[in-house]
Amino acid sequence: MSNPLEDPDDDWWNSPVNRRESIWLGLAGAWSLGIFTWMAGFTQFGDQNPIGTTYDVDPEEYQARVGEYKETTEETDDGLIPPGDDVYVGAMRFNWDGLPVVLEAGREYDIHLGAYDVQHGFSVRPEENLNKQINLQVFPGSEWVIPMTFDEPGTYHVVCNEFCGQGHRTMHGRFTVVEG
Amino acid sequence: MSAIASLFRNDYGADGFRACSVTGLDVHRSVENYVKLFGLTAVIALAVGGSFAFSVAMTRWEFVGLLDASSYYTHLSMHAWNLLIFWMVFMEIAVLYVGGPMVLGRELPLRRLAALGWVTMVVGAIGVNASIWLAEAPNEAPLLTAYVPLPVTPWFYGTAIVFLLGATIAALPFFATIWSETRDSDRTLPLVAFGAFVTGIIAVEAILGGIAAFAYALAWRIDLIASVDPGIYRQLYWIIGHGSQQINLLAMITVWYFLTHVVGGAVVVSEKISRTAFILYLFFINLGAAHHLLVDPGMSAGWRIWNTSYAFYGAAFASMIHAFAIPAGIEAGRRRRGQGGGLFGWLTSAPWRNPVFAATIFSIILFGFLGGITGVVMGQIQVNMTWHNTLATVGHFHATVALGTTLAFFGLVLFVIKTMFRRDFVSDALASAIPYAYGAAMSVATLMLMYAGILYGVPRRTAEAVRNIPGSEFSFAAAVPIFMIFGVFALLAILSGVLFVGVSVGSLLFGDRLPDGDDGGMLPEGGLHADGGEPVHAVELRGTFALCLIFLGVFAAVYVLNWYLLTQLWAIGA
Ligand SMILES: [Cu+2]
Repeated sequence: MSNPLEDPDDDWWNSPVNRRESIWLGLAGAWSLGIFTWMAGFTQFGDQNPIGTTYDVDPEEYQARVGEYKETTEETDDGLIPPGDDVYVGAMRFNWDGLPVVLEAGREYDIHLGAYDVQHGFSVRPEENLNKQINLQVFPGSEWVIPMTFDEPGTYHVVCNEFCGQGHRTMHGRFTVVEG
Repeated sequence: MSAIASLFRNDYGADGFRACSVTGLDVHRSVENYVKLFGLTAVIALAVGGSFAFSVAMTRWEFVGLLDASSYYTHLSMHAWNLLIFWMVFMEIAVLYVGGPMVLGRELPLRRLAALGWVTMVVGAIGVNASIWLAEAPNEAPLLTAYVPLPVTPWFYGTAIVFLLGATIAALPFFATIWSETRDSDRTLPLVAFGAFVTGIIAVEAILGGIAAFAYALAWRIDLIASVDPGIYRQLYWIIGHGSQQINLLAMITVWYFLTHVVGGAVVVSEKISRTAFILYLFFINLGAAHHLLVDPGMSAGWRIWNTSYAFYGAAFASMIHAFAIPAGIEAGRRRRGQGGGLFGWLTSAPWRNPVFAATIFSIILFGFLGGITGVVMGQIQVNMTWHNTLATVGHFHATVALGTTLAFFGLVLFVIKTMFRRDFVSDALASAIPYAYGAAMSVATLMLMYAGILYGVPRRTAEAVRNIPGSEFSFAAAVPIFMIFGVFALLAILSGVLFVGVSVGSLLFGDRLPDGDDGGMLPEGGLHADGGEPVHAVELRGTFALCLIFLGVFAAVYVLNWYLLTQLWAIGA
């Protein structure tokens, strides 16, 4: 008779385990390993992984780099058209510098994310389907380069979902994805 | 004053001990009084934090739209600190004192340290509240996280450190008890004491991380150092930010083992397996903090895979072990006494009108199905991208902490009222209603938060983002119906919380004093130690097994659904 308020019997380590508890250990263990294998494997074969390259960069330097990049873009009513595959986004209270931007569907871009002041949340979703969404953290002091390929044309909204100050809910940008 | 003093009065023998008529434990006056002191303080923090739940929920429900943005963040910070930290940590010190000296039948050692710890914690808690409430521009409300370099008042970091130091001091008498109990003997601690001990170790790890994080930020705010690295702060911060929630988890599970035994007649089905699960927590659960850093720049893929898997899901496996072991303990205990046959007769015939029992069982079920599953799912590197900083995350931690831990602690407080304060409830009907009302209302509110986040992408940490987003053509208005349901059930959950505080405080002040030897209706049928029946390992645990298979099925379904949604996204990352 084992009760959690008393010292266990002397042979508690060798007491037999209930058959159904043993089966459950097997099921739970297999499930744990299964979801681990899937998660680790997905970094190899999957298309959605928050993995990119990070560089240390002074926030002011990053801001200057975004400025230089913007000089090279073409300005249209729908936003900037980047000259190559690199797209720079600078987060600041309460604006996404470098957005809106016009991209081509099916083309892989390197999205550079960085902040000028405090931490921000880079949250992207297509206009017509709110449950398709990604959320990434943006730091001052880091330049994070994440490749992205939008497969469908449309408007993708960018909101800030980290508390960067009381106006942060107004922090809004856009990707306009057009037929490639 | 005399009313308060009378709360700390019981009939002790000449040696200061009395026998508890429910648990049968030898309880010393010193332990009992400090458990009461920390428990009462926790309930005050609960009442403060709970009242801010009202203003926070009624702001987020834009149909009401109570507060403007600046007050909202202040109220949200008060809500978070008083409930996630002060209500929980004061209760946890009480849990340590129950799990240590009370279960072991000892006096509380180092009582001056216990008192000093309490005073320091109270000073820290008042300081944190004041620094949030009185913060002025350019300082922002800290929320729970106070991410640098957002300017937050240095008083906040300073007083938070004071609170953490106080909690460390208050834990010392517990560790001294365990030390003196195991030093010269090869005594094996009872399971509840063992669980409390692992909880205490995890708490110390978390607190050290918290002191490091806040000291780092404080040094920057008072210009001792010129700059801070947001990534390093986040790593340090989440040692406590999530570590404190791991303390809640372990304290809750320890309380589950304690209360299912005392009010439900549960036995331990396998000491070996349950203790191994606690050991797995000890090694792996703090890795879980990494899930907050999954979508941060600068972490290697290997770091992400190792940490968020809690090392091959060692800690998730541990939780699944307890998920079987605890209901199995009830099933085995009741079957051995012949209480209820069939698949679920042992469960349906259980004392459901006893609010301590009902609160414990609801805590187990709701934590498992709503909190545990979502925690593992959102903790996977890739799925995390869809959950991070949306209201779905808020739903997850309301499932773990507001449903799981808070319900378990509700049960514990009601139990302490009967067994240590020796008071009858002012109304048995109202007391019985607490776990049902709170569990049901909070479950619906929590589910709505999850839906708003995962199906509508509504961000967290905003005062409003559904109807009224100034300067933006983007709208989350599709989520309005979700918020209509959320708002109503959040109100009901808050009312249930008011009911809990009302019944608790009312019973302490106006409840009849229980006569000596009266068990207050807390004991299971047939008493705590029923004899007879077959050995535990031979009892048919088919009811628990069926419940666990249902759990695994729901787990798999939620897992597959989340991965399906993820793979519908455009290609992201390397
Ligand atoms: Cu922002």
